Amino acid sequence: MRKLNVAFVPGLVLLLVSLFTWGYQLKSGLIVTGMRNPFSWGLYIATFAFFVGIAAGGLIVSSSVYLFNLEQLKPFTRIASLSAFASIMAAAVVILPDLGRVDRIYNLLLHPNFRSPLIWDVIVVSAYTVLTFLSVYFQLLPDWKKEGRGFLNGWTRKLSQEEVESISARWSRRVAMVGLPVAILIHTITALIFATQASRGWWYTAVLPPDFIAVAVASGTALVLVIALLVAGKEGFNQYAGAFNTLARITAGALAVHFFFVAMDILIHWWWGSPEALSTLGLVFKRYGPVYLVEIALPALVMVYFFSEKGGRSAGSLLLGCALLFTGVFAHRLMLMFPAFNQFPLSLSLPGMEVEGWNYPIAVGEFKAGAPVFAGSWPYVPTLFEVAVDLLPFGLALLIITLMVGWYNFLPDKR
Amino acid sequence: MKLGMVIDLDRCIGCRTCAVVCKEHNSQPPGTWWNRVFTPGSKEHQIPLAKDGEAQMYFLPVSCQMCENAPCEKVCPVGATYTDEQGRVLVDYERCIGCRYCMAACPYGVRQFNWEDARKAKEKAGYMPGYDYGYPFEHRDKRGRLVYTPDRPKGIVEKCTFCVQYTDKGDPPICVQACPAGARFFGDLDDPRSEVSRLVRQRQALRLKEELGTKPKVFYLPPTGPRK
Repeated sequence: MRKLNVAFVPGLVLLLVSLFTWGYQLKSGLIVTGMRNPFSWGLYIATFAFFVGIAAGGLIVSSSVYLFNLEQLKPFTRIASLSAFASIMAAAVVILPDLGRVDRIYNLLLHPNFRSPLIWDVIVVSAYTVLTFLSVYFQLLPDWKKEGRGFLNGWTRKLSQEEVESISARWSRRVAMVGLPVAILIHTITALIFATQASRGWWYTAVLPPDFIAVAVASGTALVLVIALLVAGKEGFNQYAGAFNTLARITAGALAVHFFFVAMDILIHWWWGSPEALSTLGLVFKRYGPVYLVEIALPALVMVYFFSEKGGRSAGSLLLGCALLFTGVFAHRLMLMFPAFNQFPLSLSLPGMEVEGWNYPIAVGEFKAGAPVFAGSWPYVPTLFEVAVDLLPFGLALLIITLMVGWYNFLPDKR
Repeated sequence: MKLGMVIDLDRCIGCRTCAVVCKEHNSQPPGTWWNRVFTPGSKEHQIPLAKDGEAQMYFLPVSCQMCENAPCEKVCPVGATYTDEQGRVLVDYERCIGCRYCMAACPYGVRQFNWEDARKAKEKAGYMPGYDYGYPFEHRDKRGRLVYTPDRPKGIVEKCTFCVQYTDKGDPPICVQACPAGARFFGDLDDPRSEVSRLVRQRQALRLKEELGTKPKVFYLPPTGPRK
C-alpha cells in the first residue's frame, strides 16, 4: 500500500503541469495543438475514449461479482469501483480542454439537443460518475462506522455496526445492478458518437459499439488488476493469486473477442473493395502501419501470455502485461482518429468529369509562410503542449486512486 | 421558402473570385476559407489532367451544401447549428461551445474552426495594420441569435451562411453577385417558377455525395462538353 502512496507525488505534478499548460492553451486558443481543420479531433478525444473504456470495465467487474456471485473476486469489488470512479472522472475532465469555449459549457444544460450522441454521452457519463461514487461510498460505509470517520455519513451515527453493514451490503448490490447496464451504456454511447457518422468510413460500422465493450472489459479489468496487485503487495500476492489469475484470464478473453471484431471489420471493408474502403485500409496498414502494429501486436502478445500457464505466476509479469496492454489500447484509441480524418470524405466521381478517388482539399485553418493553404491530408502529430495538457486525466486519476487507497482500506481481509 | 443554389460547371472558369469575395465580405481570418474552387483530379488548381492522351480540366467550387438532412445540425450537442425558416443552415456564434463534432460529421469538409484569435491571426499573417475587411456589423436572426459578426471569437466553428446578412435583405449571396462568368444561380427551391427550380428540373442537376442522403440545397450542373 505504501508503494501507491508514493505515486501521489507524480500525480500531483502531472495535474499541475497540465493545468498550467491548459491555462496557456485557453489564452492562445487551440492553435497550440497539432489539430487543424482537416484533422479536428486528436489526442484529447482519443484519451477520452481510452478512459471511458477503463471506467466501464471497472464497474463491469465489480457488478459481475455481485450479480454472478464470483466469490473469488469479492475482495476486489472496492478496488474495481474505485478504478471505475477515478477513470470516469478522468474521462470527463479531458473533454474540457478539447472545447474551444469551455466557459459556455452550461449550454449543455440550457440547450441540450437530444438528437446528438454527445448529449446522450453527457447524460450517461454523469449518471455513471454518480453511480461509481455511490458504489465506493456504500462499500466503505461499514469501515467508516467502525473507525468513526469518513464523509457524508452523519446519518449512520445512530445506527449499529450490524445495521450499517446490512445497509452497505444491500445498497452495494443495488448500485451494482443499476451500474452494470450503465457501464455498458457509457462505452456503447461513446462508440455511437463515432459509429453514427457516415461521413467517416472508418467509424461507420455497427461493430464499433460491441468492439468498444470488448476493449473496455479488457482494459478496465487490467486496471483493476494493477491496482489490486499494488495494494496487495508482494506479501499478499499468494493469498490472492487465484483471483489475479482470473482477472488476467478475463482480460485475455475480452481481447480475443476484440480481435474477432477487428478481423470482421477489416475483412468486410477489404472484401467489397470500394475505393474509399481500400484507401482507408491503406492508411491503416501503410501510412499508420507502425501505430497499428503497436495496437495489434502488444495486446495479442498479452492475450497469449495471460492465457498461458506461465502467465500470472508473478506480480511483475502481470504488471508488465498490463502495461503493454494499456500501450496497445491507447494506440487503438489514437487509431480511431488517423484513418478517419485522413480519409477525406469528399472523394468525387462526377458524371462527365471522369475523376475518381480524388479528395477535395480542406482549408487548413491557419496561415503559415511556405505551408499550403489547402491540404489534402493533414499529418497530425500532437504538439508538446497538447501532450502536457493531456496529462490532466492521468494526474487526476492517479491522485484520486492514491489518496483513496492511502486513506481507506480497499482490500478488506477475507472473512 | 427554401433557399438554394445552382452552380453551372460549364460556365465556371475556376477564377476563384467567389472564394475571394466570400473571404473578404465575411471577414474570414487567414487560413479560413468558406468557399474553395479546385480542379478535380489535379493536385494543383488550374493544372490540366491527362486522360486517355488528352488534357482535360474542370472546376468545382464547394462551400456549405446547406443539407436538408444536415449531420452537423444533428450532432451539435447545444443546438448552435440550426436550419432557419428559409432553409439556411446557420451557426449561433454565441452558443457554440467549440466541441467540433460538426466538423467530424460534415462530409464536405466546409466547416472551419477559429483556432486562434482572428486579429492575432491577421497580424501573424502579415496583414497591413489597420487593414480591415468584411461586412462591418453584427447580424442577428429574428430570434436574436448572432449569425454573423466580423472577427468571430476564437474557439468556435464557422462556415458559409449563404451570406445571411445580404440574403435577409433580399440580395443574393456575394459569390452569386460577383461571379464574372455568371455560373451561380440563387433562389427559392420551393417556388417551381424560380430560376433555380427550373434549372434543377430541366438540366441534369446533381448533388455532391448524393449517396449519403444529406440532401444538399446546392446543386451542380455537370459539364456537358469536353474541355481542352
